[in-house]
Amino acid sequence: MGHQRVKALDYDDDLDSDDDYFEEGEGDGEFLLKLFTPTQKNMRQGTIEVKAALDDSISISDKEIEEALWHYFYDITKSVTYLKNKHAPMPTKVAAQKKSKQVSRFDRAANSAMNTQVQNASGTVSPYPIPQKPSLEHAIISAAEFFKDVPWLKVPPHRRGDIIIEPLYPRGGLLGGSSKPSKLAALAAARKKKLESEKNSFAAAAAVDAAEQPTDKVVSLLDRLNIKGQGKQDVAANVTKNEISSASVLPIPTLRKYPARRKRSSSPRPAETREDKPASVPASDNLIEILDLRAPPSTFAATMIGAHRPEPRAQSPEGSMFSLYANRPEVANANPFSGPSPDDIVMNAQAKGNKSKKGPLKQPNGGKTPSNLADSVSSLTVEEAPKVKSKNLNVLEEFEKSNMKRMANFVVIGHVDHGKSTLMGRLLYDLKVVDQRSVDKLRKEAENIGKSSFALAWVMDQTSEERSRGITVDIATNYFETEKTRFTILDAPGHRDFIPNMIAGASQADFAVLVIDASGNSFESGLKGQTKEHALLVRSMGVQRLVIAVNKMDTVEWSQARFNEISQQMTAFLVAASFSPKNLAFIPCAGLTGENVIKPPLEKVIPGNWYSGPTLVEALDASEPAKRALSLPLRLTISDVFRGGVIHPISISGRLDAGSLQIGDSVLAMPSGETATIKSVEIEGMPADWAVAGQIATLHLADIDPIHLRLGDIICTPSAPIKNVKSFTAKILAFEHVVPMSVDVYRGRMNAPARVSRLVAVLNKHSGEVEKKRPRIVQPGAVARIVVELEREMPLEVGTRVVFRADGNTIAAGLLEIS
Amino acid sequence: MADRRRINAPSGGTSAPIFASTVVKNPKFLQSLRPTRTRQPDQLRKIFLKTGLTPSASGSAYLEIPLLLPTTAQSLIPSRSSLKLTCAVHGPKPLPRSAPFSPHLLLTTTVKFAPFAARARRGYIRDSSERDLGVHLETALRGVVIGERWPKSGVDVIVTVIEGEEDGWWGDDITAGANKGGGWGLMSVLAGCITVASAAIADAGIDCVDLVTGGVAAIVRNPDAKGKGRDDGNGEDSYTVLDPCPAEHQEIIATCVVGYLAGRDEITELWVKGEPGATTEKLVDRAVHAASATATVLREVVKEAVELKYRDVIGGLNGGLKASTFSSEVEMAG
Repeated sequence: MGHQRVKALDYDDDLDSDDDYFEEGEGDGEFLLKLFTPTQKNMRQGTIEVKAALDDSISISDKEIEEALWHYFYDITKSVTYLKNKHAPMPTKVAAQKKSKQVSRFDRAANSAMNTQVQNASGTVSPYPIPQKPSLEHAIISAAEFFKDVPWLKVPPHRRGDIIIEPLYPRGGLLGGSSKPSKLAALAAARKKKLESEKNSFAAAAAVDAAEQPTDKVVSLLDRLNIKGQGKQDVAANVTKNEISSASVLPIPTLRKYPARRKRSSSPRPAETREDKPASVPASDNLIEILDLRAPPSTFAATMIGAHRPEPRAQSPEGSMFSLYANRPEVANANPFSGPSPDDIVMNAQAKGNKSKKGPLKQPNGGKTPSNLADSVSSLTVEEAPKVKSKNLNVLEEFEKSNMKRMANFVVIGHVDHGKSTLMGRLLYDLKVVDQRSVDKLRKEAENIGKSSFALAWVMDQTSEERSRGITVDIATNYFETEKTRFTILDAPGHRDFIPNMIAGASQADFAVLVIDASGNSFESGLKGQTKEHALLVRSMGVQRLVIAVNKMDTVEWSQARFNEISQQMTAFLVAASFSPKNLAFIPCAGLTGENVIKPPLEKVIPGNWYSGPTLVEALDASEPAKRALSLPLRLTISDVFRGGVIHPISISGRLDAGSLQIGDSVLAMPSGETATIKSVEIEGMPADWAVAGQIATLHLADIDPIHLRLGDIICTPSAPIKNVKSFTAKILAFEHVVPMSVDVYRGRMNAPARVSRLVAVLNKHSGEVEKKRPRIVQPGAVARIVVELEREMPLEVGTRVVFRADGNTIAAGLLEIS
Repeated sequence: MADRRRINAPSGGTSAPIFASTVVKNPKFLQSLRPTRTRQPDQLRKIFLKTGLTPSASGSAYLEIPLLLPTTAQSLIPSRSSLKLTCAVHGPKPLPRSAPFSPHLLLTTTVKFAPFAARARRGYIRDSSERDLGVHLETALRGVVIGERWPKSGVDVIVTVIEGEEDGWWGDDITAGANKGGGWGLMSVLAGCITVASAAIADAGIDCVDLVTGGVAAIVRNPDAKGKGRDDGNGEDSYTVLDPCPAEHQEIIATCVVGYLAGRDEITELWVKGEPGATTEKLVDRAVHAASATATVLREVVKEAVELKYRDVIGGLNGGLKASTFSSEVEMAG
């Protein structure tokens, strides 16, 4: 049972549990006492002896003595000490000590006092004073004052309850912390309590005695104890004298609480303090006159202890924050909260500014002021989603009206190191698109790494990798303008590793410039390499017209024979690749020196002055512009996604394959299927309101996350979206043997792994009639119809040109027939 | 080590700025703001003391020397500082298990200035002067607490200086630079620390031989206040004052702090700063006088606190006397 009880106890109740054990022990003792009868004789004898040893005045029951004897195993002296100690907290001990030297009156009074206290202890009141949490003298607030501004709504008086405001608990002071004392502190408190009560009862006893003999030395003892103030003590002594003389009983401690502490009068009490001064102050010739040193709390302290505010003084103490201005009438009468706060003023001004700026954008309720809350809320939502207003232009009409210069995008293709970039650099330099200074700078840099001939190429090749390797890696875009046409150069990489980039460039081109190195073995190696592949690719991408720049003529001393040889071989090849001979133009030129690029070569340069044809630029100018697919739905291939700064967090650029667009249009990005809004349009670095097919435009988008936009994705109009397809049928021109195999399908920059699932038929190259159904293999150069299954969906539609590559080689190019 | 854990306030002052016009244009005006001692040389400033403010502590006390003089309202900077100290006593509490056995109470004293306690801002980490004050305070208290009654336990006395005593008048700081320092303010702070710690220990109920109080006396010299005080024979115009306020004196020659047990006439702590010369003994005597004067306040306060705490018993003892007078209020208290 004991165990269970202990378990149920909290740690705080340790003392209680100790008591439990003690009681249990007692019970056991009694039980044992009964058990061993032979010892009862000892017990009886011992009891008598102890009684004799103890005082008569102390009334201790036999049972207690027996217990003590049992505990000390019949040791009389120890039992007596124990019993005396046990009753020591009571004033009896004091009395007993006093008895030896003092006469009986004091004793009697003290005894009676003790007895009353003990009696009370057995009743309701604890013999030890329980310290109350001292509450402030001001904590008692009258209910009337507390509720003085509360309207009571005419409640009849008999129904009104009495409200008692509990004093603040814990009384005002610093906050925080746990008020639970540690175990040792509790012990200390208990000891202190005990001591205090002892002192109190002793003081009471002394007071009784003092009443009889005011001059007794007990008074001095009492003085030292200092339980009460001196003056109070005298009064108390006088009063108790009167009372006790008749009843000889001290006032019974009642349950009535000690009334609120009397307010200390602030008047100095020099007499009192002087008496308080200990006599042991070292003798000095000039004794200090100690005035009342107690100060009232300052404002700060008053706040902390929670006392009442001090009386407003005529002049507040130095250091108070408001003391400087408090007395001025303008400060006293000011109502600082009557007008709008400074924050309100600023916010109002800002709101006004926003309104005027955003006014034109707010279509539905731009002019009228919102009359109610709902209106204002709706206007708020309009503001929050910044819809770009479309100008609702008829783009086609605008395009007609603009009388725009002809525009042409061309891709520069050719084998690696045949001088594509240098030729374009020369072109731009001679057309003053690139100024002398930057070319000089590039030349110096190129000389520094010992590749001075690369200086012009670096006009196009701007990344560090391209410059250090001396080859073009990615498509470089640049613009120039002749009298008739605005050109966009797409400088494609010639290296075979970067064919995908070249495809991406070629897919944006209207026509192509094929650059061929006229020197030594270069032409021949090119013909086996990327000269051939590029030519086939651009043809399969739909490029009809080709300008063949026979470059580096300076290295072969402008040999007409060499030029004719190259022309013949290339014509033969290109016609075989289904180019029309009338769409081919051969231009001899030298990119490094700049002859026949924009100006015809000097006579002394060309031996015999055999060439009288157009320059490269003239040839470019002569090219018929491609027909613009303006009326078709919008198709734009993303060739770049970038962050255009804070204003334009997401921007894309690419060529409009078909259709038109304008600011404010909603567009659909495929294959992600997310919509976006066109915030603004830039063409060739200039802001524009619209763009049409054939142009390479930069679109600044809104309402779309950049993760939905990737290179090669198609931007289309939501009304006629391009579809994501998983398989399609295509008519292909094979460059290599085609069998059912794994291929990569390229569409511009976009590519996806796929599988040639079926070879439907081999077709006649010219008529397109079926020559052989279900072939096992498609020979190089043959035209065939195949079915391709994609591993992931791609946005494709009928008429899209695609390229099939496998193992780094282009194996076929094709036109989508059925998706 | 630099304090990197907190975002420290900019180094510099904590009080209102001093405008150049005050200093440069009119030095006479500046001198007119100089505070002077209006009390008698042997008169202390009034003290406000209160115990039991921190509920979480075993014992606590708050000491303040409020400014009771009317303000001149000519400057935002208070001409004198008003000392404000709080003390919290935690314990006696058991020592941690890791601590070696101690047959008596282990006393730990900490004195910390609040960062804004003085015009020159202080850091959050205790500096040398604060540690020094802590050691002095421990010396003052160690002999007072009866430590043998609390074996294997410790007590923490933590004094926080909310507002400290300045080392001099602010006008001197700006005109004469920082050479006026001297740390005179620390002496008053230490005396206050001793008194407030004593009150807090009493509030915590830790057994003491007596209530210890701190007192300060100083030998000062005011060039333009010749013959105002008594000549103590130390110099031509120097004299001794009790409870000096460094801002009120143009020159302080020496200062003495004592921790004094008024009931037993014992000194537990003595700290003399400066050059008192032959008058050292006299200076200590004056400091003792100051301490015994402070003791009157401390006693009253402790007595009142005890009365409040044990008012049930006391009320019982005096119930017959007071019941009739205060019966109405008793009923109100419920």
